[in-house]
Amino acid sequence: MISGAGLVRAANITQRPWPQGRDDVACGIIGYGPQGRELASTLARVPGASLTAICDTYDPMLLRARRDVPEASRHTDYREVLDNPDIQAVLIATPTHLHKDIAIDALQAGKNVYCEAPMASSIEDAKAMARAARDASGQIFQVGQIYRSNPQHRSVYQFMRSGAIGKPAMGRGQWHSKESWRRTSPNADRVRALNWRLDPEVSLGLIGEACLLQMDVAYWVLDELPTAVHGFGQVMAWPDGREVPDTIQAIVEFPSGLHMMFDATLASSYDEAYEVYFGTDSTIIFRDRGKAWMFKEVDAPMLGWEVYARRDKFYKETGIALLANATQLDAQNQDPTEDDPNVETPLWYALQEFMDNHAFGPYPPAADWARGLEATSIAVAANKAISQRTRIDVDPAWYSLD
Amino acid sequence: MQSVRLALQAMATRFELLMYGDDPVTLRAAGEEALNEIRLLEKQLSFYDPSSEISRINREAAHGPVQVPTRVFELLQTAQACSESTHGAFDITIGPLMRCWGFVRGQGAWPSEDDLVAARNLTGMSLVVLDESQRSAEFKRPGVAIDLGAIGKGFAIEEAAAILRQCGITSALLHGGTSSIAAIGTPPDEPDGWPVGIADPQDHAKTVSTVRLRDESFSVSATWGKAFRHDDSLWGHVIDPRTGLPVKGAALAAVAGPSATWCDALSTGVLILDPPSARIVLDRCSDMRSLTGYVTEGKLTYYSQGIDIIRHGQT
Repeated sequence: MISGAGLVRAANITQRPWPQGRDDVACGIIGYGPQGRELASTLARVPGASLTAICDTYDPMLLRARRDVPEASRHTDYREVLDNPDIQAVLIATPTHLHKDIAIDALQAGKNVYCEAPMASSIEDAKAMARAARDASGQIFQVGQIYRSNPQHRSVYQFMRSGAIGKPAMGRGQWHSKESWRRTSPNADRVRALNWRLDPEVSLGLIGEACLLQMDVAYWVLDELPTAVHGFGQVMAWPDGREVPDTIQAIVEFPSGLHMMFDATLASSYDEAYEVYFGTDSTIIFRDRGKAWMFKEVDAPMLGWEVYARRDKFYKETGIALLANATQLDAQNQDPTEDDPNVETPLWYALQEFMDNHAFGPYPPAADWARGLEATSIAVAANKAISQRTRIDVDPAWYSLD
Repeated sequence: MQSVRLALQAMATRFELLMYGDDPVTLRAAGEEALNEIRLLEKQLSFYDPSSEISRINREAAHGPVQVPTRVFELLQTAQACSESTHGAFDITIGPLMRCWGFVRGQGAWPSEDDLVAARNLTGMSLVVLDESQRSAEFKRPGVAIDLGAIGKGFAIEEAAAILRQCGITSALLHGGTSSIAAIGTPPDEPDGWPVGIADPQDHAKTVSTVRLRDESFSVSATWGKAFRHDDSLWGHVIDPRTGLPVKGAALAAVAGPSATWCDALSTGVLILDPPSARIVLDRCSDMRSLTGYVTEGKLTYYSQGIDIIRHGQT
């Protein structure tokens, strides 16, 4: 933040100033693949964060790190980052199955931890991490289930919980992207390591590595945890010897009787990613990184603010845009029917929450170890159901530590 | 030898990538990583996406210095250097002028003198202060805005080509909207390089030249396409940022050289310069080849530096 600039700059309604006189939090990123780079570029815009160390085991990634963040030290052994007493927080963006050891070692080294989602690739690993996080009192442990911190999602969550959807009847989520999921390198050993998502021994497949954030939103806004998953998986587009399906369907059962279907494919990009919830009064869709629209039934009750709301056309349907902070925008003379020009990405809000926790906490993050354990458990069950093409009951004991 | 072809819609254009190699699975994996880099850069460089770095600069830089990621800062420095090399003919602050001429949304119309003066006051790289020690950008007055439309595509192609090389790709051609190109190695059985045709600015069905690219980048800018009529003259959509007026006479600027970023920016800048000035600028770039074309009294004249013209009658 540039001091004094807030007076003239268009006010960012969601941005809290970093406390004056407080030092920035020295951060280290472990794992500098695509997600690690995304963390670095976002962290650079978050008040209070200072990226001082980057760790990766692969030279080309460290070369990128040198260019992206020249002032940060570079390491190939994550323990060097943990041994540095100046570093307060580490952000873990390695392949999922490598999270556990790094996260537990980081907590033991007294660091605050931001761990990418999925938190782990097995329930055992997730429980070990959850225990370490629970026992590390006074330390922050946040999982990258980023929509939990996103103002847009929080706003629609409240809206859904207030009953505007009527009785929820079913849901559907999709993640479509035409890509092979393969990575390559001139170094043969690296090829195996880079293709961990296609290794059935460690990968949670599309449901875990692509749909997890959307599933997390589903059981959050529906306010109930899944009891069973039916799964189907096929290799349809990329018959290159892979075992991990490139096209999947999973139907998730909830205690209320509601079922939600997720489908994901690497064969088609059509309509990208969204989740839609069908209720007796309205249908709500989340898409485009946290935007949401409501489609009302004609017999649904009129909502007070509806007349002012922006309407967007979707083929034959008209959606009412659900914008976070519409009333505050109005109070600041910004048009509440326009998208907020100061809006940041969901990752930015998640990292802002992580940084704020250093200044104003520690308090349990919206995506804490318990949310991480739940999401991992559901992803593990769903991935098992998909690879066995069967129905898997979720053992409620998976969700908790005791 | 196998080939793999990939495409991506980004930066308001279509990128296309053709690669040759032994294993199509490996080729595709490398190609996807390279195209993902373009997607990533689009998110950072977009003028229209409110969460892009460029939008953040445009919103905040008139109120104080805005820190930007290293790569974006490097690109802004390149844009500034290119602006200096072309004596201000290439300019990323040209947005207010383009809007004033109605080229952003409409077909274009002659603006009022007052509007033109106001837009010119908001144009010029001297209004953008880049601080290397802070990696920050600041505008000297409100209303200034930067738009990397004439350099971002070249930069994205250069970055993506670097990833292809890192992945071990030795034969590939990557282009954005056919106007910005990076070539890696040569195609099989074409040791002279990838053949790239330059369309005749007066007749698109014909090529005016075929340039061979081998580990080289290329970019072409032209005034064809959009134009509007004023005082019985046809005026193109290319504005000289130094005068605020449409350029007359320029038809084509094609530039080949080691950096796709520089080729993209220089082809835009050179198109705006008059022939003698363009020649001086291009003479200084000893590692680049170029072909420029100008219309005077209905006649098209070419100036070539290392790119031969196909004479009439030739195919």
